[in-house]
Amino acid sequence: MSELSSALANLEEEKVARIIKQELGTGKDSMGVLTELRKGMDEVGQRYKKGEYFLSELIVSGEIFKDAMKVLEPTLKKDGGGPATKVVIGTVKGDIHNIGKDIVATLLKGVGFEVYDLGIDVPVKAFVDKVVETKATIVGMSGLLTPSFESMKETVDALKEAGLRNKVKVIIGGGVVTELVQRHTGADAFTDDAMEGVEIIKKWSAKSN
Amino acid sequence: MTADTIDTRLARVKAAIDLKPPDHTPVCLSLDYKFVYRYKGLKQADYFRNRGLGGRSGSSLFIDVFNELGGWDFVGAGGNTTRVRDILEAPMIIRVPGKDIPEDEVIQWEEVEVLTHEHYDQIIKVGWIKFMDDFYPRFRGYDPAEYRARIDARAVKELAAMKPGQEMWNRMGYPVQGGGDVFSPLMMLSTARTMIKFTVDLYRIPDKVQAVMDAMIDDLITLSIKACKAAGVGGPYGIPTKSVILERGGGFVYPLKIFERFEFPYLKKMVNAFVNEGITPILHFDSDWTLNMPYLKELPHRKFFIQLDSKTDIFKTKEILRDTCCIMGDVAPSLLSLGTKEEVGAYCRKLIDVVGKGGGLILGVGCGVPVDSKFENLKMMIDTAREYNPHHT
Ligand code: B12
Repeated sequence: MSELSSALANLEEEKVARIIKQELGTGKDSMGVLTELRKGMDEVGQRYKKGEYFLSELIVSGEIFKDAMKVLEPTLKKDGGGPATKVVIGTVKGDIHNIGKDIVATLLKGVGFEVYDLGIDVPVKAFVDKVVETKATIVGMSGLLTPSFESMKETVDALKEAGLRNKVKVIIGGGVVTELVQRHTGADAFTDDAMEGVEIIKKWSAKSN
Repeated sequence: MTADTIDTRLARVKAAIDLKPPDHTPVCLSLDYKFVYRYKGLKQADYFRNRGLGGRSGSSLFIDVFNELGGWDFVGAGGNTTRVRDILEAPMIIRVPGKDIPEDEVIQWEEVEVLTHEHYDQIIKVGWIKFMDDFYPRFRGYDPAEYRARIDARAVKELAAMKPGQEMWNRMGYPVQGGGDVFSPLMMLSTARTMIKFTVDLYRIPDKVQAVMDAMIDDLITLSIKACKAAGVGGPYGIPTKSVILERGGGFVYPLKIFERFEFPYLKKMVNAFVNEGITPILHFDSDWTLNMPYLKELPHRKFFIQLDSKTDIFKTKEILRDTCCIMGDVAPSLLSLGTKEEVGAYCRKLIDVVGKGGGLILGVGCGVPVDSKFENLKMMIDTAREYNPHHT
């Protein structure tokens, strides 16, 4: 691992900022820097899986990554990294819990997905429209309240009606979501763990590419 | 089976808390207006239009649903007054049905950065109560003096209504528990700063965070005890309690080194202080705290109980805390709203078989009864507690 990757994996915020500044200053291209950051995020994921890191470390690394992206983004070429899998994510209609969804969105960006975050209280139609617009192949829905199960189901049904259901994989997440909820909504997977969600999405993406 | 009386119900609950075998497993549903209104065909917004008349514990609407379900062994009564709630619960933006969100959606708390780093410094300087007495009204857009006068006047009415509420339940044959709730310092800061910003604080400025918590804890304890006493739950059929709201300091979010420094010492201090005052702490552990359960052995045995929401492994917890405390829980919200009554019954029987063995279980739900629970599922919980009694000799 490069110094930058391990600084991120070790949550050393200032060191990450310093190295990025140095590397960009000496003419390294921002795509190369981003690749190193992603390796760092992958390492964070590994440590989480081994039980060395907790959700809190995922959060902190995600914030460091976000700050780094603010520096990199202006110089990143739009399609510099080749085609990335597109994920549409949001907290479903009637629910305004944002924290879990935000964490997952950041982690997905961290490992290289192109994420369209629709925010909270997202109407069914907005999910469908975004899938049509972006041709995303993955939809992630978050919800923490029991009435959100119905919103999730309605969204899956609307994807069906729009003829998109066999083109997208759907994952639902949030502290109340269980297998029972997955069955009820017709989603393809469920999780109450951000990293597990990222792993599932990675697998789907590897299969479809 | 002889008919239940207030004495048999109380004995059952007390046995469970005392880790002795009860005649059968006690059951208690944390019911509030949400399910009551939905079930009775009213809108969530109707509750806010009717405040005070509506589905609170003690209102006729609530009692109707309570009786239709068959009643349970003890009932909540007597909580925090408005001012106390302002201080002991996190300042967050609330979205009210019919006002900020559609008529029949559930009330929601919006998590945005309400407290900043500058507020940290102020809290360290003046303590939590003084800080909140000034900050909270401003945050809500009121003048502090005007607001304070208004809610102090309201508190007189709120307190006056608490005692009759308790007496009414007792007359109906039900013991009560109550005395309000209090957020742990970690939970307070996590929700008021946002979980993400607060987590970054814990890694970047841990000493500052600890100084803030040190400046909060005695205020939280003092006001909690005062409020619990003022609520007046007591007498032979009243159990004074304090719910300690713990939802984010556990292993679901943080490694033990953070729990050991920023959650457990304050939790321990609270529990000991409440127990010394004859108050039974109810540790409200939402989300997964399995990793943290062994620490509870350091707390005064059989003087508190814990409430689990289905994310903590209740069966492992039972093994760990068999001799420490009673467990209330943990029928999952998804099971109540989507499951069949057979599934609910099977899960409740498993809880009674394993967690209820030898006592120490109050059959219940985690946080609150979901708004869209199936009536038959709630009824099944109550019936199972009454009828399924494998340990009875
Ligand atoms: C903290 C908390 C609160 C806080 C603040 C929450 C907030 N911002 O609104 C307070 C105390 C204010 C609160 C209030 C209430 N709460 Co609350 N609360 C919680 C608690 C303990 C944790 C939620 C949380 O912050 N999690 C932190 C984040 C990081 O976790 P997460 O959202 O689960 O996300 C993770 C994973 O699920 C996953 N993930 C999430 N989304 C997605 C999406 C995708 C695509 C993927 C892949 C992964 C993924 O990744 C994340 C990181 O690992 C949950 C318990 C639980 N079991 O979830 C109850 C819970 C959500 N609350 C509940 C209830 C009932 C309430 C109240 C209605 C109670 C009341 N007295 O009125 C109110 C109002 C609801 C509201 N929030 O507006 C219930 C909801 C179920 C129900 N009955 O409908 C829960 C589930 C508790 C329970 N078991 O009963 N709550």
